[in-house]
Amino acid sequence: MPKTVISRREFLKMGGAAASVFAVGQFIPPPVARAARQAGSLDDNGNGYICTLCEMCVWRCGVRAKVDEGRVVKLEGNPEHPHSHGKLCARGQSGLMNTYDPDRVLTPLIRVGKRGEGKFRQASWDEALDMVAENMLKIKSTYGPEAMVFSSTHNLSQPLFENLLYGFGSPNYGTQRSLCFNAMVTAFLLTYGIEEPARNYDNVQYILLVGRNLTEAISTSETTEMIDAMARGAKLTYLDPRFTKTASKATEWMPVRPGTDLAFLLAMINVIAIEELGNCEFVKEFTIGCDLLPTHYAEYTPEWAEGKCGIPADTIRRIAREFAAAKPNALAHPGWRTSNFINSFQTERAIAILNAMVGNVFEVDGCLIAESPEAGGIALGAPPQPPYPRVSASRLDGVPWKYPLVPLKLGVFQELRDAVLTGQPYQAHGWFIARQNPVLALPDLQRTLEAFNKMDFIVTVDIIMNDTGWFSDVVLPEASYLERYDPLVPMKDYIFIRQPVIEPQGEAKSALMIYKELGTRLGLAEFFQYKDEEDYLNQQLAPLGYSLEELRLHGHIKVPMEAKSEEITFNTPSGKVEVYSETLANAGFPPLPTWEEPPQPKAGEFYLLTGKVGQHTQMGTQNNQLLHKYQDEPRLWMAPEAAQTLGLEDWDTVEVTSPVGSVKVELQVTPAIRSDCVYLTPGFGHLSMALRTAYGVGASDSQLHVTYTDPISGGQALSQTFVSVKKAG
Amino acid sequence: MPQKNHYAFVIDVARCIDCRACLVACSVENNVPMDHTRIWVHDQGIQGNWPYLSHAFVPYNCMHCEHPPCTEVCVSGATYKDKVNGLVLVDQEACIGCGYCVAACPYGVRYIDQKRGVVDKCNACLQRLEVDLEPACVATCVGKSRLFGDLNDPTSEVSIALRNAKSVTNLDYENGETDTDPNIYYLNLPETESILSSDPFGQVAQTSLPRDPHYTIAEQGWKNVAIPLMAAAMGATFLVQAIFFTKQLLEGEKEFDE
Amino acid sequence: MSHKNIPLPERQRLRQKMYKKHNLANILTHWFNVFSWLLLLSTGIAIISSPRLGISPLWMQEAFRNIFGGDANLIRFHYTIGFIWIFVILFNVLVGFRKYFVPFAAKRLLLDRDDIEWMKTKPLQMMGFMKDKELPPQDAYNAGQKIYSYFVVLCTFGIMVTGPVMVFKSLFPPIVKQIAQPIHFVCVFTIVAWLFIHVYMGAVFPEEKEAFFSMFSGKVSAWYARAHHEKWYNEKLKEEMEWEDKIEQEVLQSQHPKEESSGAD
Repeated sequence: MPKTVISRREFLKMGGAAASVFAVGQFIPPPVARAARQAGSLDDNGNGYICTLCEMCVWRCGVRAKVDEGRVVKLEGNPEHPHSHGKLCARGQSGLMNTYDPDRVLTPLIRVGKRGEGKFRQASWDEALDMVAENMLKIKSTYGPEAMVFSSTHNLSQPLFENLLYGFGSPNYGTQRSLCFNAMVTAFLLTYGIEEPARNYDNVQYILLVGRNLTEAISTSETTEMIDAMARGAKLTYLDPRFTKTASKATEWMPVRPGTDLAFLLAMINVIAIEELGNCEFVKEFTIGCDLLPTHYAEYTPEWAEGKCGIPADTIRRIAREFAAAKPNALAHPGWRTSNFINSFQTERAIAILNAMVGNVFEVDGCLIAESPEAGGIALGAPPQPPYPRVSASRLDGVPWKYPLVPLKLGVFQELRDAVLTGQPYQAHGWFIARQNPVLALPDLQRTLEAFNKMDFIVTVDIIMNDTGWFSDVVLPEASYLERYDPLVPMKDYIFIRQPVIEPQGEAKSALMIYKELGTRLGLAEFFQYKDEEDYLNQQLAPLGYSLEELRLHGHIKVPMEAKSEEITFNTPSGKVEVYSETLANAGFPPLPTWEEPPQPKAGEFYLLTGKVGQHTQMGTQNNQLLHKYQDEPRLWMAPEAAQTLGLEDWDTVEVTSPVGSVKVELQVTPAIRSDCVYLTPGFGHLSMALRTAYGVGASDSQLHVTYTDPISGGQALSQTFVSVKKAG
Repeated sequence: MPQKNHYAFVIDVARCIDCRACLVACSVENNVPMDHTRIWVHDQGIQGNWPYLSHAFVPYNCMHCEHPPCTEVCVSGATYKDKVNGLVLVDQEACIGCGYCVAACPYGVRYIDQKRGVVDKCNACLQRLEVDLEPACVATCVGKSRLFGDLNDPTSEVSIALRNAKSVTNLDYENGETDTDPNIYYLNLPETESILSSDPFGQVAQTSLPRDPHYTIAEQGWKNVAIPLMAAAMGATFLVQAIFFTKQLLEGEKEFDE
Repeated sequence: MSHKNIPLPERQRLRQKMYKKHNLANILTHWFNVFSWLLLLSTGIAIISSPRLGISPLWMQEAFRNIFGGDANLIRFHYTIGFIWIFVILFNVLVGFRKYFVPFAAKRLLLDRDDIEWMKTKPLQMMGFMKDKELPPQDAYNAGQKIYSYFVVLCTFGIMVTGPVMVFKSLFPPIVKQIAQPIHFVCVFTIVAWLFIHVYMGAVFPEEKEAFFSMFSGKVSAWYARAHHEKWYNEKLKEEMEWEDKIEQEVLQSQHPKEESSGAD
């Protein structure tokens, strides 16, 4: 059962002086943004709808915010937005509470106690920004710009964040990508030449999901489309060690041993190659290396795979044949968060090849589209800026000198954190974090906090006092997504706008303005050549000849595009789908997807699995009272047999121990998981006492995760941590 | 005059993924207090034996029954089945929040908003229907599990869904005295032992739905004791005075009597 | 002393002589109460529209809702009149509570032995039995009226407490409101049951004709008083005689002021 919200009085007892210096969010919502009123979307009474974009997850559905007498009262999906189709998930619907969260940070805060005490004082923007700039410049002049680490999870203001980072001259860019999809992106870059192929469910008949729990890791439109496809009769085979909600909808569920999806897929490739069930024409014309498969994969029989993953050989064989028979309308989903095992890269390569073998990669009507979902042909303008200064220092995250094949824009975030701790090859001294919670997101939370201790200066930009802010020296309040403009990002042949629905509460500012004002103080004004947000957007629209008013009123503009050529090309060195990758071979890695034995827990230990729930987004939403209202209590999943062996019962408080840490959490005995696995929903166990709804709820798996990095893709292997569980004393 | 609308929900259980977007949307749209909910997604629990497992989720809310037991107990008529649109509604200006109706609902879908002292429940987002919008839960349903519309209109989504459905069930409650005829129709509802009321806040003990309507002691006392007692008392006193009045009429009055 | 022994001229004199029984405040309050009750009872009965608990015909329930414009407005009217009624009644009772109401209640409303005797005999006599038995004398209000007053006080209190509970609905938990409703109902109809007798006895029963008109004039004849409220009549006589004595003394004094001071040296 969800715990009750901690009362303000209780919080005051816990946090000491901290509570008194926080600006509590105004409970009376501020008036609707002047811009919104001027845009003409509202009638004289202040009623109407304003179109903007959600930010409760990265799917960024179009939102129509209902305004009633000048107040936001409801959020609806924008029917015209391809990611929403008029719907919003639980998180999207709860967006109001994100903005009106009583725990919003609404003024700049400067730490007065020790790091982690939670004692801050309010400061003016001038004082806070001056202090940040002073400290960053001091680090730059003393240690060089590379001593400043910049990290942010990708968002619409990323170009300006990158201007700060690269304008400052640092190469050290921490993104969440290596904790998420490095394996997938690297694999598809090497195989197809694109980062992430788009999926089209219109005609799909057979879907193979390897993980990618679409009914809980919700991407609104894609989740709907998959369910629609199944209602039309498409079959879904789903591989997961847990019986998730997706498993409950799947035609067949394969409870594979963690880390052995690869074996299942290799055996599928074996069957399709040897029995020649694939789309041979497509394969001949567009792939390199497919002809090698029958010989190279001869050992990867279904019988062999059964020994690895635990799924009967006959089943594997049948699935392979059924998958191939549905060609070209068979889709092996690329997955998304693929940071499971070190062999996840190989798993992704196998998926990429399976798709190639059934030839589903067409540009029109195919279920896999060899172009990035966000690739638009629209060329937006941008304010002028000078070229970035040359950076001589090497990256702390080991790209490319330790990780030659990891794309620069992905990086290896956990390596960056470790380098900060070890001081090799040089010591970092400052950390600038925006829209990210690395304290809870990086594996091995203890290590991250130790790394923080090495910092002379830490500054965080966020809308709420999350765990990273809690350990920072300065916290700068960003306006929430309902309160700000962000740069325009095209989607296919549309431009959608994020615009403020209400004026920012307190003194919160948009990232566009925070970065500009900080950048100016850092001597980087030339990288921020816009007067304000509207000026920036106008400069983006200038080459296209549209007006901001038009865009604001309707929420989007459709840009007439030239018809794309029907020619299929792949952006690989050979111009074809590289089943066999020369690039991998040259770097000393297996050129074909190859079996790599994943580690296994000892007897009495468990795989610690992670995953998603439909009511939260990673580490950022646990304080939202509306989501808290309807969440499941985040307990540790364990199978009944395993619990019985350990003498544990449902709701027991247990101690979970890994090589790096230990947490206490309540147990959930459930048949929905393999008996050699336990599962913990990430994002709970917050350390920040300022999150009065989230604090004290659940435990954080980041305290348990051991840092394992795949040398090829740089992806973190979150499921390679093994834990022991016993009743808490 | 026949009812203009026969509004109903059609819910395809196969499509519900328990994302709970509907629950949040309803809470926001209708200002539901944090410690209450107007709608639920019942988790039927994992059935079967490893690895042949199944798990279904059953959304529910007020059934807007054809014959609601709840409206029978409302003293003032504050809750009623609307004669035009057929929805079961609460006039919260007339309602005093006594809770007779909360106890009487076989589906446990009513609750008392103590801050305002009135009963609240799903009203099919009537305020949205009036501006040609679907109820909030239906509009946002990611799985397209929830449908809503007018069964009197053969072209409505719900009429079409029912026509094309292979199996349709509803959680009808019948006990000889009352037959609710609920207006939520389920498609692909798995046959399991029972639907349990799921109260995420642990405030109401779980019972199997539908359950017998419960009549509070006060309401029962009123109906079975107080009314007969008062009727008897009034009958008695009326009779007494009637007798004397008749006697008086028969005897006539005299001005100079004593 | 039975009134049957009084000679004619005395009887005629007594029938014309009037004593004041009810003061203006009592009279106005009584009729205000009657008027309020007419409004409250009719709207209250119309409000109860539950199929299980309703006691009035459907056409009446609908008509009242049409007149007032819906459920909520009908209820608002009912409790608005209710609050005015509560205020006026309480004002009357509580202003000068210790000076007037308490002594009045103590003196006039408590049952004594004569009342008990009367209660055993009068009902039988009314039905035509025991015509010969002499009734014990009654005070200003006879035993029946006293008992009626107990019910009125108790039930009025009950109505005045349970009504506001239903109006201030956010202040009380549901269980209180669940119980308040039937209590309100029982209190109202207990009084209604008694009203059948009260109205009959007060307005229709021939012996009590004077009682009815006294609720307008405030006065009853000495004859009526002697016959029905003998103890009160004696009190009034005594009061009258004392008053007569007092006036005599005053007049004598004003005529012969100096003479009064002689005597004691």
